[in-house]
Amino acid sequence: MSAREQEFVEYVQSGGQVEATDWMPDDYRRLLIKFIEMHGNSELMGVLPEREWILRAPTLQRKLALTAKVQDEAGHSQLIYRVVEDLGKPREECLEDLISGKSKFHNVFHYPTFTWGDVGVIAWLVDAAAIISQKALLKCSYAPYARIMKKICWEESFHILHGRDVVLTMMLGTDEQRELVQEALNRWWGPLMQFHGNPIPSGDDPMFHWRIKSQGNDEARQQFLDGYVPQIWELGLTVPDPELRKDEETGRWHFSEPDWAELKHVVTGHGPKTQERLELRRISREETEWVRKIVLAKAA
Amino acid sequence: MTERARALLEYADDELILGWRDSEWTGVAPFLEEDVAFSSISQNEVGHARALYEIAARELGTTADELAFDRKPDEYRSAPLVEFRRMDWAATIARHVLYEAADEIRVEALKDSGDEEVAGLAAKMDREEAYHRIHAQMWEERLRGEPRFQAALDELWPAAVAVLPEELRPELAARTGRDLPSNSLLLAHERGSHAEEWPALWEEMTEVRRSVPGAAW
Repeated sequence: MSAREQEFVEYVQSGGQVEATDWMPDDYRRLLIKFIEMHGNSELMGVLPEREWILRAPTLQRKLALTAKVQDEAGHSQLIYRVVEDLGKPREECLEDLISGKSKFHNVFHYPTFTWGDVGVIAWLVDAAAIISQKALLKCSYAPYARIMKKICWEESFHILHGRDVVLTMMLGTDEQRELVQEALNRWWGPLMQFHGNPIPSGDDPMFHWRIKSQGNDEARQQFLDGYVPQIWELGLTVPDPELRKDEETGRWHFSEPDWAELKHVVTGHGPKTQERLELRRISREETEWVRKIVLAKAA
Repeated sequence: MTERARALLEYADDELILGWRDSEWTGVAPFLEEDVAFSSISQNEVGHARALYEIAARELGTTADELAFDRKPDEYRSAPLVEFRRMDWAATIARHVLYEAADEIRVEALKDSGDEEVAGLAAKMDREEAYHRIHAQMWEERLRGEPRFQAALDELWPAAVAVLPEELRPELAARTGRDLPSNSLLLAHERGSHAEEWPALWEEMTEVRRSVPGAAW
């Protein structure tokens, strides 16, 4: 490691932040692009499972809230790709790499949705899991990314309220509605427990070394369980894990080992909906290619 | 049903269904900026529909949600123009341009109407519609030279005329510099008839709500 790089590491590890125009080691830039691009991809792919329900929203209020939520996700991916662009990778290249399977997106967006219960559970719990990771990025050593995270976290907090309200309304409704929520929770629990990733010690995590991330995967998962399991129970839902309990002495949650093989399989492009959703992206890009050509030609 | 309630429902149904159709672009538009723009327009239109239904609902002793979701498909009074399923971008922009032109005339007429409640709402709606018109104009300029855009404008023109009541149609023709279509050409697009894809949209938009009848969502 060069003296300059050593100095950079010390700087970020002591809480220093880096701007787009500052010097940075190539490794740092490369990791940043990979991490932030995956975040942008996830926001964009996250649009698709919920988009299927925009046309089926059962009240005017839900229609407005869901459209606004999905619009936020599209807006977030726009913002995030802009940060990636400043680091040297254009948006079009990110989209091409996403479609070709070269880059990745979060595990939860590879799964299907079946009922309005899924819509509630996604908006409430998937967004809750996401906001925990995103809040930890408010302290990211790369300042432009940390800055946009403020807006993103603020908007995500509304999604959680919307999701909780969808779930609560159904739980106060008929037996049939309560069953829809419970079934959805059963489906999403596994992917939710995998969401924050393998429990690698933060010392071994290059993302932590460069202070791109400021919290370990297992910490994020504990925080999620601590914040949401009591709420899930309070609503009368059952978490589909017989091992789940909080050790009152240590304050830590015990749970069945998440299925890491499934996580790896899914994020490497083998989820139940991965190919279909990427295909939808491919087709819609092809269909609208002529529009981009006209607009970009005029702008040039 | 009074003439007032009928007119409110016609307008609300147009805004509702167009809002539904515009939201089909959320997530798959040519640019992320357009995902955001069309989602935003969609929310405005659905918001307008809700406000219009609320006025009608007070008169009819029902609720905005019941009017929006619980009528039978043939009871909706939407113009066929707004019912067409997501078309290609050229036709989407053509519909957007033509609908906004027609809607501007309709909203102006309502602002000048003697009905204070409706005129007040129309003024409020127009403040948002102004942005839709700017958005439509921007795209009209971008696509002006595209044959497929011009073809879509020609094709959708009769359906756009049929959005307005007869007395307002000449104004739309004057503003767009087009000739009014013959009555026989208009017939298939008049309110009361529906686009072929309307029943499928109705099925889809009421699917969750019908699955547990009478439940709160």
